[in-house]
Amino acid sequence: MADKLLRLHVRFFAVLREQAGCSTLQVETSSRTPAALYAELQEKHALSFPVALLRVSVNERYADLATPLNAGDRVVFIPPVAGG
Amino acid sequence: MFEIASTPIDSVALQTRLAAPDAGAAVIFEGRVRNHHLGRPVTRLEYEAYDELARLEGGAIVTETEQLYPGTHVLCVHRTGMLQVGETAVWIGVASAHRQAGFAACRHVIEELKRRLPIWKKEYHPDGLAEWVNCPAEAVTNAHDNEYHSRQSALPEVGAEGQARLAAARVLVVGLGGLGCPAALYLAGSGVGRLTLVDGGRVERSNLHRQILFTTAEVGAAKTLAAATRLRLHNPAVEIVTRDCELTATNVRALVAGQDVVLDCTDNFTTRFILHDACHALGVPLVQAAVHRFEGTLDVFRRGDGGCLHCQWIGRDAADLESAGNCAGGPVFGPAVGVLGIMQAAEAVKLLLNREGESTRQTRLVNLLDNSWLAIERPAHPACPVCGRIDQLRTSVAPEKADAVPLSLDPAQLAALGAAATRIYLAEPGEIPPPVAAGVQIVPSTDLARVREFAAAGPVVLTCRHGLRSAAFARLLRAEGRAQAYVRHDSTG
Repeated sequence: MADKLLRLHVRFFAVLREQAGCSTLQVETSSRTPAALYAELQEKHALSFPVALLRVSVNERYADLATPLNAGDRVVFIPPVAGG
Repeated sequence: MFEIASTPIDSVALQTRLAAPDAGAAVIFEGRVRNHHLGRPVTRLEYEAYDELARLEGGAIVTETEQLYPGTHVLCVHRTGMLQVGETAVWIGVASAHRQAGFAACRHVIEELKRRLPIWKKEYHPDGLAEWVNCPAEAVTNAHDNEYHSRQSALPEVGAEGQARLAAARVLVVGLGGLGCPAALYLAGSGVGRLTLVDGGRVERSNLHRQILFTTAEVGAAKTLAAATRLRLHNPAVEIVTRDCELTATNVRALVAGQDVVLDCTDNFTTRFILHDACHALGVPLVQAAVHRFEGTLDVFRRGDGGCLHCQWIGRDAADLESAGNCAGGPVFGPAVGVLGIMQAAEAVKLLLNREGESTRQTRLVNLLDNSWLAIERPAHPACPVCGRIDQLRTSVAPEKADAVPLSLDPAQLAALGAAATRIYLAEPGEIPPPVAAGVQIVPSTDLARVREFAAAGPVVLTCRHGLRSAAFARLLRAEGRAQAYVRHDSTG
């Protein structure tokens, strides 16, 4: 069970999109929470943005970083934005 | 300089007075008596001024114009007495280094004179009849024509009733940057009754590519004044109030009170939290947008309807977010702030028309680089200390267990805990805390992390102004396994 890979749709916003160099990603992962997924993506895409300052949405709804993920989920990582 | 003259205006003499070696441009406007008004023939006009007030107000307009368009020099003369057709009633000359500021300043002076100068004119008609016309009143009456808003009020979703509602509405726009400029322009166009503009900044050349209320002529001018001038030209029916200051924890309540909708068009988290919390406390809906380069977010916050700003940032405060998210002075795609600012205006108008739909429960993410738009549900967070959604909290943390030990402590129990307990006063953002007993820690109610640190070290006793946040915090701590989290219901700790 733990080895089974989940296929997820990931979207980055604002400064994260710039760091990742792309808006969207399809990933196959053993991560089961947004927190674990972000740690994995941080390593793979050299994302320096701290997880503590992120909002995350799962299937177009704000969620906690510890929310369990399911196959096919759409995960968006949203850093703070304040410019105006 | 402003003067009132009872004898014919000598244009040549005035032009000589205007001459200056450093002025590369002289722009002159003459308002003359014409032979018709509102379809009726006119033979002559008699002007009467409330002399002292007219001199004061005229002088103020000239001073204000010279400040609005730095480097201009204004000379203005208004006639009183009987004038024949073709005679000059008002003469305005502006000397400036360059033409842009000269034209703009000259336009500003005549518009403000028409709007503000206490001067009446008596129209004489060929049939021998004559009537008095008050110039400022005439300017306002003309602005209230139905034709201006006819293409908007023709929308079934607006209608005459909706248009009247907009005309009675008061809207506050905080920040006249890339968001505030287009937002204010569309709000003025939509015919809201009163727009209050807050910004303590001056127009900079690097603002102009996106801050569409300003032109090269206003560089250096106060943003509020420049914006008000532009908006009055756009829709004279809208009352424009200006506050040339930054929004602070001290002035926020006075600015928000009495408004029907508030727009957050600022560029930093500190101000965003202050404004959000005042709107939340006073129950005024808030339309907030923020932009990073090509991308932006839009939120409509209304107390009790969807999550608030703190729900999105549980345990993190403005200072944390500022370090990561504030890019004031950074690069920005002009159309991105334009789109988001106009979306703010749209949401404000929809709120005033009770047509906000799902907006109050969503964050919208807009990316103008790849044209993706996303709506994210923004429910109230059960642990949010501001929303104080204690009803939801109860269901989510099994209250029987959490409250097995009463939350509330009386003074005797408090004394029994002794020095082992950390006493904490949770200060709302912008709140000036009351005097507290010795040893009481004052912690911002947005700083859940710090409260957690104290709770990890031993018993904590929480208080706050209304007792809601402290109760919500204590329940949350208990849900996290801190059984010795208590509240005490008086605000001195």
